[in-house]
Amino acid sequence: MRKTIMTVDDAATMRRMISFTLKGAGHEVLEAGDGAEALELLRNRTVDMVITDVNMPRMDGLTLTRELRALQQFRRIPIILLTTESAPEKKAEGRANGATGWIIKPFQQEQLLAVVAKVLPV
Amino acid sequence: MTTNDELQQQLIKDLLIESFEGLDRFDREMLALEKGAGTSDTPNIIFRVIHTIKGTAGCLGLSKIESVAHVGENLLSALREGKVSVTPPLINALLAYADALREMLRSLETERHEGEADYSELLRRLQDLNCETAAPVPPAAPAAPAGWGLFEEEPSAESPVTPPPATVAKAPPIMPEIEPAARPGSGGTPANAPSAADSAIRVNVDQLDKLMNLVGELVLARNQIVQHCGPAQDHGLLAASQRLNLITTELQEGVMKTRMQPIGNIWAKFPRVVRDVAGELGKEVQLVMEGNQTELDRTIIEAIKDPLTHIVRNAIDHGIEGPAERRAAGKPDTGMLILRAFHEGGQVNIEIMDDGRGVNIVRVKQKAIERGLVSVEQAGRLSDREALNLIFLPGFSTAEKVTNVSGRGVGMDVVKTNIEKIGGAVDVVSDSGRGSTVKIKIPLTLAIIPALIVTSGGERFAIPQVSLLELVRLEDDQKRKGIELLCGTPVYRLRGRLLPLCYLNQQLKLVPATAGQLAADLAQADAVNMVVLQADGRQFGLVVDQINDTEEIVVKPLGKQLKGIACFAGATIMGDGRVALILDVLGLAQHANIVSEVRDRAQPDKARTDQTVGDRQTLLLFDAGASTRMAIPLSMVARLEEFPRKSLERSGEQEVIQYRGQIIPLIRVADHIARVGILPEDLSDPMQVVIYAENGRSVGLVVGRIDDIVEEVITVKRESSGRGTLGSVVIKEKVTDLLDVSAIIRAADPAFYLDHPATLAA
Repeated sequence: MRKTIMTVDDAATMRRMISFTLKGAGHEVLEAGDGAEALELLRNRTVDMVITDVNMPRMDGLTLTRELRALQQFRRIPIILLTTESAPEKKAEGRANGATGWIIKPFQQEQLLAVVAKVLPV
Repeated sequence: MTTNDELQQQLIKDLLIESFEGLDRFDREMLALEKGAGTSDTPNIIFRVIHTIKGTAGCLGLSKIESVAHVGENLLSALREGKVSVTPPLINALLAYADALREMLRSLETERHEGEADYSELLRRLQDLNCETAAPVPPAAPAAPAGWGLFEEEPSAESPVTPPPATVAKAPPIMPEIEPAARPGSGGTPANAPSAADSAIRVNVDQLDKLMNLVGELVLARNQIVQHCGPAQDHGLLAASQRLNLITTELQEGVMKTRMQPIGNIWAKFPRVVRDVAGELGKEVQLVMEGNQTELDRTIIEAIKDPLTHIVRNAIDHGIEGPAERRAAGKPDTGMLILRAFHEGGQVNIEIMDDGRGVNIVRVKQKAIERGLVSVEQAGRLSDREALNLIFLPGFSTAEKVTNVSGRGVGMDVVKTNIEKIGGAVDVVSDSGRGSTVKIKIPLTLAIIPALIVTSGGERFAIPQVSLLELVRLEDDQKRKGIELLCGTPVYRLRGRLLPLCYLNQQLKLVPATAGQLAADLAQADAVNMVVLQADGRQFGLVVDQINDTEEIVVKPLGKQLKGIACFAGATIMGDGRVALILDVLGLAQHANIVSEVRDRAQPDKARTDQTVGDRQTLLLFDAGASTRMAIPLSMVARLEEFPRKSLERSGEQEVIQYRGQIIPLIRVADHIARVGILPEDLSDPMQVVIYAENGRSVGLVVGRIDDIVEEVITVKRESSGRGTLGSVVIKEKVTDLLDVSAIIRAADPAFYLDHPATLAA
């Protein structure tokens, strides 16, 4: 089934790459350049899943996750952190802020699709 | 893999744009950090640039960029956390590191791979800097085998902290109730979902170029319609054509604006350039930039990028002195380099000012002579301004020694050529000891330009308005009196200045050009229409049959068959659908030998002076007073001038006059020839003065009246008829004395011919 996924990253290339991969798998994609923009976009609509970068200007991915979890309609959707850091304490931080999972950058398209398939079962 | 090559290429292109922009930001923030001008966010911004490059490059499979980026990221991470302090070696290493990344990206751009360069030494340097702090090196991200995971599946070592507002649900099957809510919003979303704050989008430049071309065509069509509607009686049609006219103009401006970029985009890299160059030369330079927001067409931005960089490097290398020299000159240690950009009269002005030592004109002249760019004689004849412009000649360089930074002698002439290629002009002003300023004027756009339409030999030509100074129309009497022949070139005395004339119909061979033709033309035409143009800092008058109108023209490049012709800059389509050629003012002036490289002029000049009496010579005939007709070879004449009597001054015994910022002695020719001299009272007002220059010194010969210029084979009839003359000849059936110029100058000023080198070097 077609899902709507939001990708949040300050690097346009990264957004585009994710967007391409997800669209190729038949999903609809929404892009945002940072956490603040994502929140703004999600004020009037909802999505099925959020994939967000961690280190971004204005609002980082962890704050975005926290903010989204505070909203009723985003309490239960999967939020995946895109991160370069795989140290346990970083992971704990992600978990503490309410993220569903993580993807280590760099990643292969297959990995991205595997995560999506896992958290958004058809 | 779903990725196809095309997408990969597209993504790489995006990565390149993004990364270059990011690295420029990196440089800027780095310099701010160095100056202590950074904010608390600065280290994070720097970190993020590299972080992003690393992440994106990794996803695109660019492992070399990724691994290099990774090492820097570790150091920057330590910097961000305050574990590493900002030191000059750190800044230098990180800037070099940014350059390394740029190099790889550039290689990726041009050669499609990351390049072969070895950065291990640089990377070791970065690692060392990181170790110095004794901070634990962050582990090099041992990626989890899968590269991803879900927290709930992770055997958590620590007790999971409960997320503040809500509990994390296990990866949930999607809530059916969310579905409908998602739909309405997404229904209208285009495939390429825009992000809310993205008020700016990237548009392919080709797309913009295409739009611009279409607008060009529309402007042409508009011109045609407006022209055809001129005589129309139909009010509806007239109104519609007027509306079309307005809208087209607006559209044209609008599209033009989309191609505009602030000049700050290319200036952004100058702080880094200035820092590096100044550092290399042991100088201290502060860069000030004004008018960052001044906008220019992107093609022009591209074209001036390199010339500007060169001028900036030059200013630091040649202009600004080292701290010690500055202190000795009573200036602050730190030199100032100011970049200014502003709009003026439909053009963009860019000024690069420094407060350095200025250009040493004497040395410039010397160098130009040494390099054989000008003859000694010519060098002397040059005004300061002209002499300054020698630095734009190919093969010129005044640097005492060739430095790494500039002085390879390929600089300023390339700068000038590049700027003139886009219809711009460059000029240098120098104030000895106080600095110099390079002024660049460039058009806003190259695609649509205002032009003056003229007719010559039945053809229409467009002259770009930028080079147009004024229009002059001479009728009957004026034209007979106004136009003289000097050196075979017709000249017109415009407000006291000699303006060389160029007949367009002859230059382009629209009419058979013969010497007699010119005179005949002059006599026939009831009026002379002259367009005063500026090329290469020189003015000249272009004589045309008719001056028509000004029009916005769309510049179309010439086909390659015609491209080699310097006289034309392009073609345009006129309102009536016919094609008109656009004149290249500089090319035309060169073709007419009005402006030429000084070097070229040296040769014929020399040839002429070498001729001895008895050969064919061009002679200036004048009346020395008391109806004595005299002649001197025209090659000895620098200029013919008129001075009002009241400008005559005295310096001791000598009569002098101020001329082009110099004081030059005046010699009354009549006093020095054997016949009875004329009394001061007899001097005509204005005085006719022949300026004679040699070795940088000028002297004015006051004559009664300038009669004519003739080309004659001189056969001396009678050897010296007395003091001050070389002999007599018969010219135009009149006995004419040949003036012995050097003898009378020596008589009036014995020092004139002495110690030239010393004078020059002084």
